[in-house]
Amino acid sequence: MEERPRKADLLQGTLELLILRTVATGEKHGYEIAEWIHVASADALSVEEGALYPALHRLELRGLLTAQWDVSENNRRAKYYRLTASGRKRLSDTTESWRRTSAAINRVLDAT
Amino acid sequence: MAEWLNSVGLRVRALFRRGRLNQDLHDEIAHHLAMREAKLRASGTAQPAAHARRQFGSVATIQEELRESWTFAPHLGNVLQDLRYAARMLRHSAGFAVAVVLTLGLGIGANTAFFSIVNAALIRPLGYADADRLVAVHESFPESNLEHLPFSPLDFEDLQRYQEAFDGVAAYRSIPFELSGHGLSEQVQGARVSASLLPTLGVAPIVGRTFSTKEDRPGVHVAILSWGLWHRRYGADPAIVGRRITLDRRAYTVVGVMPRTFVFPRRGPRVNHEPADVWVPLAFTDRERVERAMNLTNSVVARLKSGVSLEMAQAQLDVLSGQIAANYPSVVLNAGFRPHLSAVPLREDISGRFRFPLLMLLAAGGFVLLVACANVANLMLSRAAGRNRELAVRAALGAGRGRLMQLLLCEALLLSFAGGALGVTLAYWSVETIPAVLASSVPGLQDVTLDLRVLAFTAMTCVATGLIVGLLPLATLDRRSPGDALRADTSRTTGARQRPRMQQAFVISAVGLAFVLLVGAGLLLRSFSALIATNPGFRAAQVLTVSMTLPQTTYNTPASVRTFHRALLGGLGSVPGVRYSSLASDFPLGAVGNLRFEPEGSALASRVTPMTNLTSVQGPYFETFGMTLRHGRFFTEEEHLEDRRVVIVNEKLATRFWPGENPIGKRLKWGSVDSVSPWLTVVGVVGDVADGPIGVEPDVHAYQPFRQAPDFFLDRRVKTAVLVQGNARALSARIREEIARLDPQLAIESIAPMEQRLRDAFAPRRFSTGLVMVCAAVALLLAWIGLYGLLAFSITERRREIAVRLALGAEPRAVAGMVVAQAARLVAVGLIVGFVASLGVTRLVTSLLYETNHYDAMTFVIVPLVVALAALLACAVPAWRAASVEPLKALRAE
Repeated sequence: MEERPRKADLLQGTLELLILRTVATGEKHGYEIAEWIHVASADALSVEEGALYPALHRLELRGLLTAQWDVSENNRRAKYYRLTASGRKRLSDTTESWRRTSAAINRVLDAT
Repeated sequence: MAEWLNSVGLRVRALFRRGRLNQDLHDEIAHHLAMREAKLRASGTAQPAAHARRQFGSVATIQEELRESWTFAPHLGNVLQDLRYAARMLRHSAGFAVAVVLTLGLGIGANTAFFSIVNAALIRPLGYADADRLVAVHESFPESNLEHLPFSPLDFEDLQRYQEAFDGVAAYRSIPFELSGHGLSEQVQGARVSASLLPTLGVAPIVGRTFSTKEDRPGVHVAILSWGLWHRRYGADPAIVGRRITLDRRAYTVVGVMPRTFVFPRRGPRVNHEPADVWVPLAFTDRERVERAMNLTNSVVARLKSGVSLEMAQAQLDVLSGQIAANYPSVVLNAGFRPHLSAVPLREDISGRFRFPLLMLLAAGGFVLLVACANVANLMLSRAAGRNRELAVRAALGAGRGRLMQLLLCEALLLSFAGGALGVTLAYWSVETIPAVLASSVPGLQDVTLDLRVLAFTAMTCVATGLIVGLLPLATLDRRSPGDALRADTSRTTGARQRPRMQQAFVISAVGLAFVLLVGAGLLLRSFSALIATNPGFRAAQVLTVSMTLPQTTYNTPASVRTFHRALLGGLGSVPGVRYSSLASDFPLGAVGNLRFEPEGSALASRVTPMTNLTSVQGPYFETFGMTLRHGRFFTEEEHLEDRRVVIVNEKLATRFWPGENPIGKRLKWGSVDSVSPWLTVVGVVGDVADGPIGVEPDVHAYQPFRQAPDFFLDRRVKTAVLVQGNARALSARIREEIARLDPQLAIESIAPMEQRLRDAFAPRRFSTGLVMVCAAVALLLAWIGLYGLLAFSITERRREIAVRLALGAEPRAVAGMVVAQAARLVAVGLIVGFVASLGVTRLVTSLLYETNHYDAMTFVIVPLVVALAALLACAVPAWRAASVEPLKALRAE
């Protein structure tokens, strides 16, 4: 009964934070989210596309995102995600704790 | 909370819109791939579609993962996998699995069977519309401790006329009928019911109509049939309405047929109602409308108006009681004894008094299941210990602790549901036999079935059992890193240190629980033996009893009834082997109605409303039943034939109403002090006999010659008792012939030896005592197995230590003693726990005991002895095995 290896697990919390942040800039469909993260990180982060959709659905299930079908720029049916009120709250909470953690880690790394 | 609701909502939607969600998912991914492909193509990548797909990863895997998130059990796939794995594991340890399934099957089976009884008697709907609003109304004389008496016709009519709290008030009384025509005549149960009955119950006939108020008067002969009788006797004739049937040799017109599920009246605790097969109008005659305090034979059911609570209805009844007392001073005795009307929810009235015994039974079953759980948890624990290594490997391969728990729980649930399946099978068999034994005493038990409610209960029991036996051993699961667990010797891990304490706790609780059950069973057994040892006050051996009811039409005058009586007694007397033959309105043990009477010159009469049971007799009744004469004499031949006003009372009546006086020559009369009934002179006093349900103190009782009994009381019921020489049963055919010679059409209700009636009276108690004893025995056996298992297991584990001890010169006897001491410690703690618990529990069962103190010394001495003896047996083999360990062999094996 070996567990299916889930690379996403490692990044799960981070990935969700990134998605929330991305969607906070305006409603987007999945591909746009992946691209936005890629671009915004100056090509440093590339979201594993396979992991993206499970994460999106998880966030939707938890009510942090809502989704709506619409027609995309290339005239296809696309699912657009938007932040909910609780998603917005979660984003600000997580952002703050991420900042604190990374600052702390940086301090450790910089310590002599 | 919001997140949770949202996710539940989505999952519920997913249940109904699976196809749509799949399509959406497909579209979403396709859109993504198309966008990616377009970008790759723009940047000049070769084969952009394939590249995009590769970059995306396995679409199938993602789809699968997402679909799981829609279902209620996201890990369902895993669960199925674990279940399959658990099944495989259990197949490999078949012995273990069989032991667990048998143990749990017994426990769950007992609980399922018991719950099905409780369900039938206490929970299942009565089958009347909105039955929560139905109440039984009784008349009481609180000052005299006379509770819940049926109504006299006059009181019922007043209640119906003046009440405001009810939508409907109805009266009914059971009455047997001779049903003839279409072949053999037979006796069927019937009920006279007021026209308001069916509207009050809210049940309508499926064919035809109910009675009209115009039909509720004497001389109208209409009837409604039960579904069963309609099928059995009339082949479900669709044109039954309007047909004539013959009841008591008189034509009745059928006006309706009730639905199959309709049962009325239901067997009640206070009046001996039988479910009827035919209903006729109640139609009080003027002869029945005698004094208010007499002819208390009508049960009353009423429907609360909507918005009226039971308390409000009771308040109204209180007012009405006062009015009756004020308007009819003759009801009220000298010192102001008032009739008091009271309402009880119908359900409670029918089966309320069985609630406690039945719940006790359920509790006994629960105890057995708990002992079974303790044992199984112990087995699982030992097994989990042996599997620490396997579990460690799984953890090392990446299974989280949650996943391991899920696996073990899957195993436990698989086992408990297998046990549940076995249990349901066992229960299915047992519910076939339970009603046969108990149906006559507990209402609703005619059809105990494993309905959906019972099965739901069983499923819940299985889940609870699975969680208990699965979760308890988990507590000892190795908490260290997988690596450490792998390196360590499996038998000496941390779990192993925690495990013995837990196993000991299981054994102690099993012993304690078994102890409590044994004490309960012991007390019930003592009660039961006290009960059967009680002298019922009459002879049952070689007495044959016959019951029949004379049809009113043929026997419509006192003279015709008397002629039949004389002919019957004469006929029976001529049968060879018959020593005494007598007639009575009721036999001992038969429920007999209370009759209001006035004892002349009694000081007590001014303080209580005097009520007595009455049996009218003819022939040598007292001699037939071997009853003891205390004072005076029995009735003479002339008194049976003439209108001499005499009465015989039992000891209880004599000593209660004329204490310290000679009762012979005292007088009493039926009804209240100013009733027109004649005075009767007491000519004899007989010993008390068990006259009601067994185990209930004999009540005051009077006997009167048949021909002098009050008209309404005499009725047409005839019971014959015959004392025979030789085999009573063998004579019954001869007696049937004799009766058929007198009246070929007459339907005999039953012929039974009195001994059988006595046995039947004990049956419910014997049955419930037996059930609790079986429960206790099973619990003891399980506790014994648990103790044995633990000792055997610990000997195996301590082999090395024992070998060292022996090698260092310890006596084998000392080693055996060590094992015994270990067992003794556990059992001692178990006994103390059980003892303390049973002191609390037995206080609760006091009401079920008969002439037995709930701190019964005998029980509290014998039970610990039995448990200790069982424990001694449990440690014999392990102790012997410990003593015979061969040191060198054992050490080498290490």
